[in-house]
Amino acid sequence: MKKNNRRGFQLNEKQLGYAMVLPSLLLVIAVVLWPVAQSFYNSLFDYRLNDPTRSQLMLGSTIDLERYVDNHFYIEGQLETLGSENEELSATATAIQEDIEGFHAELIQDEEMKQKVEKIDEMLASYTPVRDNELKYADLDNDFASEYRDTLTNAQNELMSAAEQAPNEEVASTITQTADLLGATSENILESNFIGLANYAKYLKDSRMWGALGNTAFFTVVTVALELVIGLAVALLINRAFKGRGLVRASVLIPWAIPTAVAAMMWGFLYDGQSGIVSHYMEVFNLIPGASWLLSTADGGMFSIILADVWKTTPYMALLLLAGLQTIPAPLYEASNVDGANKWQQFWSITLPLLKSSILVALLFRSLDAFRVFDLIYVLTGGGPANATESISVYAYKTLFAQQNFGEGSVLSVIVFLCVALISFLFVKLIGSDLFAGRTK
Amino acid sequence: MNKKAGIGFYIFLTAFVFLVMFPFIWVFLTSIKPVGEIFSSFRWFTTSPTLDSYDAALTNRPLLRYMLNSFVVSGLTTIVSLAFAAFTAYAVTRLPIKGKGLILGIVLAASMFPQIAIISPIFNLVTDLGLRNSYLGLVIPYITISLPLSIWILATFFKKIPFELEESAKLDGASPFQTFRKIIFPLAAPGVFTTGILVFIAAWNEYLFSLTINSDDAWRTVPVGISMYQSQYSVPWGDISAATVIVTIPIVILVLFFQRRIVSGLTSGSMKE
Repeated sequence: MKKNNRRGFQLNEKQLGYAMVLPSLLLVIAVVLWPVAQSFYNSLFDYRLNDPTRSQLMLGSTIDLERYVDNHFYIEGQLETLGSENEELSATATAIQEDIEGFHAELIQDEEMKQKVEKIDEMLASYTPVRDNELKYADLDNDFASEYRDTLTNAQNELMSAAEQAPNEEVASTITQTADLLGATSENILESNFIGLANYAKYLKDSRMWGALGNTAFFTVVTVALELVIGLAVALLINRAFKGRGLVRASVLIPWAIPTAVAAMMWGFLYDGQSGIVSHYMEVFNLIPGASWLLSTADGGMFSIILADVWKTTPYMALLLLAGLQTIPAPLYEASNVDGANKWQQFWSITLPLLKSSILVALLFRSLDAFRVFDLIYVLTGGGPANATESISVYAYKTLFAQQNFGEGSVLSVIVFLCVALISFLFVKLIGSDLFAGRTK
Repeated sequence: MNKKAGIGFYIFLTAFVFLVMFPFIWVFLTSIKPVGEIFSSFRWFTTSPTLDSYDAALTNRPLLRYMLNSFVVSGLTTIVSLAFAAFTAYAVTRLPIKGKGLILGIVLAASMFPQIAIISPIFNLVTDLGLRNSYLGLVIPYITISLPLSIWILATFFKKIPFELEESAKLDGASPFQTFRKIIFPLAAPGVFTTGILVFIAAWNEYLFSLTINSDDAWRTVPVGISMYQSQYSVPWGDISAATVIVTIPIVILVLFFQRRIVSGLTSGSMKE
């Protein structure tokens, strides 16, 4: 950027413009667009972080070299011991050993693979964990992989049946040990975990997903509607000159400014069945069946979340609408007064139409915020009781990080994304190009 | 619509402000009660106020560390995103480039992306970079929230500066970048500051990324840290009330000082001029 101050290296306005836009655009692509695409891609796999056979995205067969090299190292020794200690098994052991060596030789025929194997061998010898996935995993030919895997499992089965006929327990356990080693090695040769749309098919039939989607939609519609109506009423009422505006504005801004998680903790205390003041007063005034109703029943939980959200966001909505109201020219009202219109008629024929674009923009941002609701629910009810207040984001989070299931969790993320995209699309259609009118020339 | 405010109006206003502030008032009153009283009575005012809960809130969990973490992460996020956004907003509002609508469209779309849709790849990315449990590990994902927000709000502020200034700078032989640096940017400084406040608050309040990426207690931010006060077996309401009061104070100060700016920033981001 600095260079263009030097003589002879000046960018013209256009070049400067693109140079200024480029860094942000690249950043947005890197941290927003790419991750969404990646989420979608992840959703096509049976991808679980906590399962070593599925902790990678594998389009074709793959080998976990770190574990394979480690296991392979012991196979020869174990089979030899087995053969020399039990004469009747020595032929079998040698045959298995030859088979495996044949496959292993074929595996390291590939120069790159050989280098990787040697490198990992060194690392294992010095007890260094292999962190680099490029080194740790290698692609395999599908046929070779399935043949090698079958050979290993067949050998495992052969040894297992030999173990059953073993003369004594000691021998049986040595044989079983070797069989297990072969089985473990076969699991290092990984099948592709690409499953296409199977994860989606699963969730289309998942009642918990539909429940969460329903909860989210209900929460969004009810909170946004309440916030709009109450916010508009408050904005209309305080749209006048009065003393202490600053104080009112500050007090209205504080709920908006505090972290949602902090608000959720506060409301959790107010709703508490034993020491919560809100639940206590609601019980005293017979508004609710019992003080514990709020957080321990499905309806109560939903009511609690909606009330907390309305409390936190209505003031913000009122401020946005107030700013919109103040742009409506006063002469319009004066003229309609002269014409004998009453307040109600003025509201419907002047205020609402002129406030329309403010309302739509506020609704757009609020609906999107409400639809991705996470922290309020996660902290206040954790989605309970019995998933009755679980939003789709909370469900996605639990699947992704509590179950470490990145494949299925990504499906839920993609569902949230698609819903949000649909909501934005509908609103942008309604609002039209107004959204950009103030910014581009 | 400049009606005179009557007595009824002030009664309504007081009731409204009281309702809005009630949770804070109650939490504050609770925070100075002796712990036994919190669980035994619903009296508003305690007869023996004490700071025990504050002491417990600060010693049972590293609350001050959480606040430091939040402060550093939000500060860094604000600086980084303002730097990038100032250039972009300037180019989009005042330079003759093509595709302005598309650029703003991408920015707006990015600000609407649900965080849950990007969290797993971002989590993998931050893990691969070895940045979990660090400040930078949070600043990167926070850019997703703060950069589109800053560009969007800054664009409105840049738009308001008269175009004649640029014309005359051009006539005086200033290069386009000099015009930006010496003329437009200083004039937009209040707008940049306002945007900074909003970005800072947005970063301060973020929960989902912080919860997943910085799972080590020493690196938690305020929103996540405070939600850790409740354990499975007991809920120490005294500690929670005190902690809530402590973390709310900086925000109250921020809001009291900058309320006008915050409101102007909020409304400019959502209304066309």
